[in-house]
Amino acid sequence: MAGNEHTNSVHRHSSLQKKIKLKQERRQHNVSFVMMILLTILSFASIMSDAISDTVAILFIIVLACVQVFFQLYIWMHLGHKGHEFPMWGIASGLFIAALTVGTLIGLIW
Amino acid sequence: MNVGERLTDQNFPESPEKATLEGKNKFLGFWLFLGGETVLFATLFGTYLGLRNSFGKGPEASEIFQLPMVFAATIILLTSSLTSVYAVLALKENRVKAMRGWLFVTLLLGLSFLGLEIYEFIHYVHEGHTFTSGAFGSAFYTLVGFHGGHVLFGCLWLSTLLIRNSGRGLTLYNSPKYYLFALYWHFVDVVWVFIFTVVYLLGKVG
Repeated sequence: MAGNEHTNSVHRHSSLQKKIKLKQERRQHNVSFVMMILLTILSFASIMSDAISDTVAILFIIVLACVQVFFQLYIWMHLGHKGHEFPMWGIASGLFIAALTVGTLIGLIW
Repeated sequence: MNVGERLTDQNFPESPEKATLEGKNKFLGFWLFLGGETVLFATLFGTYLGLRNSFGKGPEASEIFQLPMVFAATIILLTSSLTSVYAVLALKENRVKAMRGWLFVTLLLGLSFLGLEIYEFIHYVHEGHTFTSGAFGSAFYTLVGFHGGHVLFGCLWLSTLLIRNSGRGLTLYNSPKYYLFALYWHFVDVVWVFIFTVVYLLGKVG
């Protein structure tokens, strides 16, 4: 029965590790939620306030939007976890073509 | 193991959404689909950015946009993204009741976002900002409406998922389905981040 006890404790050990990992993940998700709320408030505030010039505010909110997308993709959609190499290629090429498309369309209509 | 068999805490795999070949394929295929969706939305964003000052007969963007309402919609969608993250965490811990609870909250938040958007559109139409009032109107309703359509589709998808799997535990067959829905929902939120930035906030400063 010693062997059985051993596998049991191994099982308990690995499930404990899994629990700790998920707890850390939950904290990460909560932190990124608070960060995204703050980023949203910041971008709304920078547009509504008169103290910041429009050009600066526009650049600022676009940077903030990109940071938010990073949080969503990397943390909430787990793109940073292992086993996401192909998804990374898929979404990266999508973003590349998307940037080209937006640039081209704005240029064409200008 | 049979893929339709209810998973127990003992045999629960680390990533139940990718434990079968079908799950792996769905996971990869869905990410590639999201890459394609990115391009699709980029065409609409590009068109909108090009036409956003061609108001035609309609009112100007800075006159009609109501930032408090947009802010409320943003917070609702962001929170629904968080609740779907909680659902995925519960999925990984084999807590099926908690997962379905969080998904139900996600559904309610999605529906309230839709309600707010419909109210907003009706308000705009009364102000003379319609699909045919100018190039700005056409581009605006195509872009924002397409995103709203995605939210609507997500709500229908989630309702079907919850109804079809009611009373069932997590299996290797339905775990990928739940997981992919969460990915889709995050993507819809990502698109909204750009909509509130590029359409509403940019429209306010001209």
